[in-house]
Amino acid sequence: MSRLSLAIPSKGRLKEKSEEWLAGAGFPVTQIGGERGYQAAIEGLGDVDMRLLSAREIAQGLVEGSLHAGITGEDLLHDLAPDGEADFRVVERLGFGGADVIVAVPQAWVDVDTMADLEAAGAAFRKAHHRRLRVATKYMRLTRRFFAARSVGEYRLVESAGATEAAPTTGTADVIVDITSTGATLRANGLKILSDGLILKSEAAVAISPHAAWNGPAKASLRTLLAGADITDRDILQNL
Amino acid sequence: MTHAAIVKAARGVFEASGATPVDPAYIMPSDIPLELSGEAVRARLCVFTDHRGNEMVMRPDLTLPVAGREADRLAAGGSGAAAYCYAAEAFRLPAAPGDPMEFTQVGFEWFGQESTPYEDAEAFALVHEAVRACDVLPVAINMGDLAIFPAFIDALGLPRVTADLLKRAFRQEGGVRALVEAAPVPVEEDLVPTLEAKTPEAAEAAFRTALAARGIPLIGTRSVAEIVSGLRARAAAQSAGGAPQIVREVIGALAGVNCAAADAADQLDAIAARHRLSKATPAIERVARRMELIRDMLPDLKAICRFRSGFGRRFTYYDGFLFETLGPNLTDRQPIASGGRYDGLIAGLSSGRAAATAIGGVVRPDRVLRAKGRGA
Repeated sequence: MSRLSLAIPSKGRLKEKSEEWLAGAGFPVTQIGGERGYQAAIEGLGDVDMRLLSAREIAQGLVEGSLHAGITGEDLLHDLAPDGEADFRVVERLGFGGADVIVAVPQAWVDVDTMADLEAAGAAFRKAHHRRLRVATKYMRLTRRFFAARSVGEYRLVESAGATEAAPTTGTADVIVDITSTGATLRANGLKILSDGLILKSEAAVAISPHAAWNGPAKASLRTLLAGADITDRDILQNL
Repeated sequence: MTHAAIVKAARGVFEASGATPVDPAYIMPSDIPLELSGEAVRARLCVFTDHRGNEMVMRPDLTLPVAGREADRLAAGGSGAAAYCYAAEAFRLPAAPGDPMEFTQVGFEWFGQESTPYEDAEAFALVHEAVRACDVLPVAINMGDLAIFPAFIDALGLPRVTADLLKRAFRQEGGVRALVEAAPVPVEEDLVPTLEAKTPEAAEAAFRTALAARGIPLIGTRSVAEIVSGLRARAAAQSAGGAPQIVREVIGALAGVNCAAADAADQLDAIAARHRLSKATPAIERVARRMELIRDMLPDLKAICRFRSGFGRRFTYYDGFLFETLGPNLTDRQPIASGGRYDGLIAGLSSGRAAATAIGGVVRPDRVLRAKGRGA
């Protein structure tokens, strides 16, 4: 991979907003094969390997180093990076795709408002049920790190493939870690956010991979991209 | 010495002590380590899924499967003390780059003996006989006693919920600080009838009424009784006014104990005396007596033994004396030998159907080899 490999989300609002942002910086994206294609071209950056991927694949690619740069959610970057922020570098937060990663429990748990309450409830639960309280999430690493830092150990993680907010109603888990922007979906599902349960305030961001193979052409394209977007942090390029 | 020669030397010491060699199962359901120790250990477990979707793990140490066999034996009506030894592979995801994922542990586990400073010292001495047989000189030995923190908390005479909360938080990565500094939250007015109800049935009815008035659905697997009891615990903490100043002082002083192991009991005694916590004395005396015995058995180790009160708090199933032996050429995260007491594990593994005191120790031949320098 000598040329810059750059990825943006392949569908939805994130895709539209990413394309808008790139076009605004002077680098319009055109999709090859029409609306449903996953290949694209970008103007103005020279010879670039432009890809349309899911936001999760982009975060994974940046963490592994198979992508040089991309636009994806900070929530995914933080969750997929085994070594935390050593595995990616956010160069610009984009102001869209904002969402909070939070810990939520049933509203009926009037005795649980904080992480410390949750720990106590978890310990009592284990005594009564001979198993640990279940926490459903797709953010396995973020959850583990946050719970450990808050001294909450009395739980088991259940990986959730989707509709995490329904887990307490269906009984697959009691607690969830999920993203929310307004909290409306949580409330509709009888859940509440713990007062100290904000794990991360996330938004879409341009991120680069410290693990990718950075050579002349890739760096040159990135330099052009950063200049077009008025990102002036000189350390970004020097540290690659 | 080669790796094989080190394994043989250490195993020889444990077999000569009269322990029965065992070779337990490599694979166990992930529920065993995870329900026992919580999700915090998952990051180190070699986990896989079988064809039915059950999550399994490769044994992360030998203590768990050996203790599991013993729990089964006792739950099935077996009795009496037992001693086992092993030289076998364990599997963990690396904590640091370069750590092996598969490594040998040579060790022993004793069950159902008395649980006194004498057995603590005997187990420690046996591990050191094995280290010596491997012809490596320890450079430092770190010791701790996970019964000390709970003993001080009990001596403070706190409400049970607060005491339990502090003891559990002590064993978690984040520690107790946030808990000690948190202010208790008052109970909301519409829940007061629930707390004041005379019978559990009346409390449940009052709770359901309050919930309905708020328009809240009752979801989740916690029962109403559990929620009400959580509410009561919170009200108790509120009326106790949170953690008093003395708790902060005692916990702070305990956290500061990091000294030559020979001085540990005196330092702990001074903290207990200053705060009039005479109920902590038996636990402190045990530290003192154990160190005396170790000094008598192994006088040349005294100079390198240190004691730290928080030492080993993250080692999941240990609950008493524990130690790690460090060798040259390695970091303090890579002990060449370690061991400790876990009197509560058999009860935990058998869901309370059996109970037995337990203490064990292991030597890590791969690290002994590195400590001796390659090819030495």
